[in-house]
Amino acid sequence: MLGQLIVSGISQGAIYALVALGMTVLYRTTSVLNFGYGETFMLGAFAFYVFLKIAELPFAIAALATILVMILVGMALERFIFRPIMTRAHLLIAMMTIAISFLFRGTTRMIWGREVLPMPPVFDFPPIFVGNVVITSQSLVIMVAAAVLVIAFFAFFNLTTLGKLMQAASHSPRGAALVGINVPLFSSCMWALSAAIAAIAGILVAPVTLLYPDMGAATLLKAFAAMTIGGFGNLGGAVLGGILLGITEQLCGGYISTSLMDIFPFLVILVVLLIYPSGLLGRAETNRV
Amino acid sequence: MFENNRYLVWAVGAATVVLLFAAPGLVNNYIIFIMGMMCINALMALGFNFVIGFLGQLVFANTAFFGIGAYSYGILMVHVGLPFPVALAGASLAGCVAGLIVGLPALRLRGFQLAIVTLAFNQLMHWVYLHSGSVGGGPSGMAMPEATIFDIHFTDDPSKYLLILFVTLIGIWMARNIARSTMGRAIVSVGANEFAAAALAIPPVRYKIAAFGLSGFFTATGGALFAILLGRVAPESFGLSQLLLGFAMVMVGGLGTVAGPVIGAILLTAAPEFLRNVPGAEEVLYSFLLIGLLLFMPKGLFGGVCALVPSLRERHRGALS
Repeated sequence: MLGQLIVSGISQGAIYALVALGMTVLYRTTSVLNFGYGETFMLGAFAFYVFLKIAELPFAIAALATILVMILVGMALERFIFRPIMTRAHLLIAMMTIAISFLFRGTTRMIWGREVLPMPPVFDFPPIFVGNVVITSQSLVIMVAAAVLVIAFFAFFNLTTLGKLMQAASHSPRGAALVGINVPLFSSCMWALSAAIAAIAGILVAPVTLLYPDMGAATLLKAFAAMTIGGFGNLGGAVLGGILLGITEQLCGGYISTSLMDIFPFLVILVVLLIYPSGLLGRAETNRV
Repeated sequence: MFENNRYLVWAVGAATVVLLFAAPGLVNNYIIFIMGMMCINALMALGFNFVIGFLGQLVFANTAFFGIGAYSYGILMVHVGLPFPVALAGASLAGCVAGLIVGLPALRLRGFQLAIVTLAFNQLMHWVYLHSGSVGGGPSGMAMPEATIFDIHFTDDPSKYLLILFVTLIGIWMARNIARSTMGRAIVSVGANEFAAAALAIPPVRYKIAAFGLSGFFTATGGALFAILLGRVAPESFGLSQLLLGFAMVMVGGLGTVAGPVIGAILLTAAPEFLRNVPGAEEVLYSFLLIGLLLFMPKGLFGGVCALVPSLRERHRGALS
């Protein structure tokens, strides 16, 4: 049972890791913590449903179209909603992200009402058996896709010139602007990147869960828990935290109690932040006056 | 325009209060129920405003306090069998204590981490209500016994409304006085700049905790009144949507004021009643309101109006700019 729980934990955790990664990218580079990110993810899943089931596009084209649409959504948000208020207090920006979450959730609810959309599995090749552990095709796809995405992301961020520019601009937006980096363009790219990651997480999760307008909120809280475990604002930490959260959540459900599983992420947040607020890979913050 | 007419302002205020108390004779019970909800939401928004407006911290524990108020009232009434005014006071006190406890992590955490911890606390409390077994009735909640004092029975909506209105008006008056007291100003100063406040011998720790305690007190009072009005408490009333509603009320009315949350509560309690038949329309309306206000009137409706009326301009100083 242990092996089975760990496998399903990793596959769940991969989704948390992606969502946490998307939030962390935005937080690190623009210092906006997007409370509407769960809804961005939800919107991605719904957009995929529309392209795949209603427009009946083939899988690859539907996925690409979803990513493209979500990139446009991300850039539009940055340009029209967040750029005008970027110089205001952090509290107001955080509130704006909450307002955006209202907008996405309300719009989806207006279109789909209160129904829950099931989605048939997209891949149906037979499950793989490793010893007595069963790996379903869906969780295999999720794990592989997440791993490829994370590796590509870190390679891009650490090895390419543009990635290094991004690191510089995130470290000090003002300094970056002074040496000639186009910071507004850069933050537009970051919103796009973050939305694209949400879209991919949505595409991956759509076939294995039911789609409903409130699905984002639960995922958002789990992504917060993942970020907290790994160290708030640390990119590698977000991925590590997501996987760890997925595994420990499954173990908790399997060995302790399934009703405890619902609040497991919140317990994790409380314990980590109260005892060791900097997380696994984070650094302690210093206060500047 | 108002400064020469202080008596006029008082007269208008007094006439409003009289009208509010006479309302059960003037409008039907459905509207009375909505007005009761407005009062309750006003108390909740006022409580929320102490931490989010005056202290300027992003804190999401208000639904937890609201639920703690409602459930404490229920438990004190059903299981302990206290008379209802004592149970009401007990519920407010329980909220205050919960606020003080939630305030403790706020001393160590700030900004987004505090927001996330309190969000987690909210969801934790919701889970506790769901699994409260025989104490709180679990998922189906519990029914409230009739609130009775001397020979007055608060059984129908108009009588409950009068009780709620009475408590709410006292609450608004208290909040207004607290906001103008040393404590209120100290909380605002800690919110504006903790280190500068400390340099002026205002202990940030004490006033941060105080803001949380006040927040819990007002919100839990609202929660207990909610239990009275509905005659029942159940976990579904204390979910994420309630949290976001309170949040929108404070923002729409205006952060860091007493009038703002009350105005926000009145508007946002009334608006959804017109949109009941379209699922999601409520949320879209809130989002448009919030986005518009944040872009063009970041101090909320009350703050925006105050900025336009010269004699009110000095009165309104929001914690945020």
